[in-house]
Amino acid sequence: MSEPMLKVEGVQAKYGDFIAVHSASLDVPQGKIVSVIGANGAGKSTLMDTIAGIHKASAGKVYFKGEDITNLPAEKIVTRGLSLVPQGSRCFIRMTVEDNLIMGSFPKNARAGVKDTLDMVYTLFPVLKEKRNDLSGSLSGGQRQMVAVGRALMTKPELILFDEISLGLAPTIIKDIYATIKKINKDTGLTIVLVEQDTKRAIKTGEISHVMLKGNVVLSGNSAELGEEEIKKAYFGI
Amino acid sequence: MDNKPRGTVKVFGGTPLIIICVIAIALLAILPMTGVITSNGQRYLLKIFLYCALGIAWNLMSGYTGMTSLGQQSFIGIAGYALCVVTTTYHLGYAMGFFVGAVIAGVISLGLAVILFRMRGMYFAIATWVVAEALKTWFTSWSYVNMGGGMSVTVSPYPRTGSIYYMALVLVIAAFIVVYFLLKSKIGLGLTAMRDDADAASSVGVNIFKSKLLCFVICAVITAVAGAIFYLNKGTIYPSAGFDIGWTVSIVFIVIIGGIGTMLGPILGAFIYVILEETLSHYPGWSNIILGIIAILVILFLPDGIIGTLQKKLNFEIFSQRRFSESKAKKKIAAKSE
Amino acid sequence: MQIVISGILLGGIYALLGVGMTMIFGIVKLTNLAHGEFVIIGSYLSTILAKAMGVSPIWSLIITVPLLFVVGIVLQYGLINRVMLKGSEPALLVTFGLSIILQDAMLLLFSADAQHANISFIKNIFGRENISLPGGLYVSILDVLILIISLVTIGVLTIFLRKTYLGKSIRATSDDTQAASLMGVSVKKTYAIAMGIAMATAAIAGMCVAMRWTFYPSSGGSYLLIAFGVVVIGGMGSIPGTLVAGLIFGIAQVAGGANYGMLISYIILIAMLAIRPQGLFSK
Repeated sequence: MSEPMLKVEGVQAKYGDFIAVHSASLDVPQGKIVSVIGANGAGKSTLMDTIAGIHKASAGKVYFKGEDITNLPAEKIVTRGLSLVPQGSRCFIRMTVEDNLIMGSFPKNARAGVKDTLDMVYTLFPVLKEKRNDLSGSLSGGQRQMVAVGRALMTKPELILFDEISLGLAPTIIKDIYATIKKINKDTGLTIVLVEQDTKRAIKTGEISHVMLKGNVVLSGNSAELGEEEIKKAYFGI
Repeated sequence: MDNKPRGTVKVFGGTPLIIICVIAIALLAILPMTGVITSNGQRYLLKIFLYCALGIAWNLMSGYTGMTSLGQQSFIGIAGYALCVVTTTYHLGYAMGFFVGAVIAGVISLGLAVILFRMRGMYFAIATWVVAEALKTWFTSWSYVNMGGGMSVTVSPYPRTGSIYYMALVLVIAAFIVVYFLLKSKIGLGLTAMRDDADAASSVGVNIFKSKLLCFVICAVITAVAGAIFYLNKGTIYPSAGFDIGWTVSIVFIVIIGGIGTMLGPILGAFIYVILEETLSHYPGWSNIILGIIAILVILFLPDGIIGTLQKKLNFEIFSQRRFSESKAKKKIAAKSE
Repeated sequence: MQIVISGILLGGIYALLGVGMTMIFGIVKLTNLAHGEFVIIGSYLSTILAKAMGVSPIWSLIITVPLLFVVGIVLQYGLINRVMLKGSEPALLVTFGLSIILQDAMLLLFSADAQHANISFIKNIFGRENISLPGGLYVSILDVLILIISLVTIGVLTIFLRKTYLGKSIRATSDDTQAASLMGVSVKKTYAIAMGIAMATAAIAGMCVAMRWTFYPSSGGSYLLIAFGVVVIGGMGSIPGTLVAGLIFGIAQVAGGANYGMLISYIILIAMLAIRPQGLFSK
């Protein structure tokens, strides 16, 4: 096996004195969909924020494509090809859908061929093309998630982290978005990390699973080989 | 006094502290009679006392309830003018002038609270300033107070600086005691809790609006009395001076330097401010520039002020208010993560 | 009717005073209490440069606008970005300290004397100061000129914010700083640019102030409160709102006259803060 695309080694992250992530280690191989599974409060979001540079790691290392990106500012990390879709979509609500997407091409390396990337996003999510001139604040929850996904694609990433993209969405919409994510992975070979609370959905989508419990990665491996039973056990810590 | 040590924080209090305070006050009270200090020295101390009182009042608002006011000069101007109108227009004594000034300031603060308490943070700060500017503009064109021409205090016999010195000393002691016991009470507990964590406040079961109102009015009255004493000593008032934002500038400087949200901060700050100001008065024009630079440096490098930093470094508290904010803050952070 | 005309013409300058403040308020989330002083610095620089070079004050903008832009960037990077880490209250107090320092520094440099920019160029070019309208009404050429300057400035700013990458990144930062940084936007750099732009508008507003009124080192405070009023009435970050708020203040000033103009403005502002602090133009 070659070097994994993303390598997290013993990362610790705190809020003040509170340790949200104790010592998390995980690998993400190139071209795969990888699930990070854990209950509410397991430290998944904090770990994603730390990888993407929004949160500072107090210990440990993060390597992306073999380079040390630990504690680089978020705006530097995205230009290297690592994009995070944060929890709750976080659209720029007072900007139009199209301006939101165009913001995705703000990194210098993403500016070439903006039109083509934009067309690609509009093909994936035709509804966004219809609503291109609407303020993103006026969209439904599912449409906002599409904007967030589209915006991340516009940064021309090699790896996308999706932080609980299914949160608060109706099951049919979740199904659609997951189908789109799988399609993107299949068509372009984009490496994907999916953060999920729902074990079943995570195993179904992610070829590899990492289970987090109380700020640690407690179980890692091929989803099919591990099986739902073992993953659930790790999830609840029994 | 709170003798219970809180965690590892040593609380310096109890009988020794009271004895030290009594000795200090007694010394300050005897000082003018001994002839040890010059009349200039007495004048400096008088000024320090007044700024102490102003600092204590502002600190109660900003440091403990989180309402940053930039309009303290409203109450100073009102009290100064009340003193002049009562003594000059109505030929009554200055005691009556103090009383009227304090009452008017109290009533106005109640009225303002209805409007101002709808605002938060910087909106509140600017609104208090706008009120002061509006008062300044109004007094400048109000013939009842001689418009921009100013007014004088007319009393005979005119009290000597020595007597005014004692008025100011009594004011500082009174202000300190009132604020200290207010903060020790359930009301104070609720206010500090609210400042640190809005959710915690409701769990204490204190009516926050009423508590804030009480603080606002107490702050206005202390500020007004300090203003009245100042103008009794000075003799004349103009709208541009009485309602000058410069008053708030000095007060903010004093509390920031001393340590915002500490009982001793405003006292230490007032000493430092008056000494600096008197020293810098030899370099006309430079004093505010240097004071401003010092204030910015303190905010950058000693954000807790001198007393606050000392308390943190040495792990002690003088005149502590019991606070449970730390554990609450931790819980809040824990809830936020993930 | 004359009051309305004069008020509308004055509205431009008030909108211009407010637009820089609105930017800082909406993007950096900071109330810059030194904004008034920066306007007055602009006034002094324009007056002095125009006199030294023997040209109309408008030409001085070639120097003052870039100069204050750079000062704004340095100020934000060097000082305000650092204090903002400590919370919004310390940041507010730092700008307060800054306003005191600047005011007294101007007092030392320029003395307390009233100043006024030389506006004889208007008479030289147009041969008169006012244009008569039918019905005994008139407009001052200077006021029309200032209104045009204000509208052009605000228009250029709006286009910049809507159409360019940099402008969009500024708006994105104002909506959600973290999400913006995930798009490769450096928040600190954006804040610095926003402060630079705000200062550049202060330079233009200062030049207009110097042409329209006499000014002193201590004049900053009242312009700050007007600017703040425009921010509040216009609603945070809303540029059309800024224009309307400017007009409201302009009319209030003219209607109230020398004695009560400011008082009326202050009362409008306080009433507005109490009733609708989110501004007239936000949802």
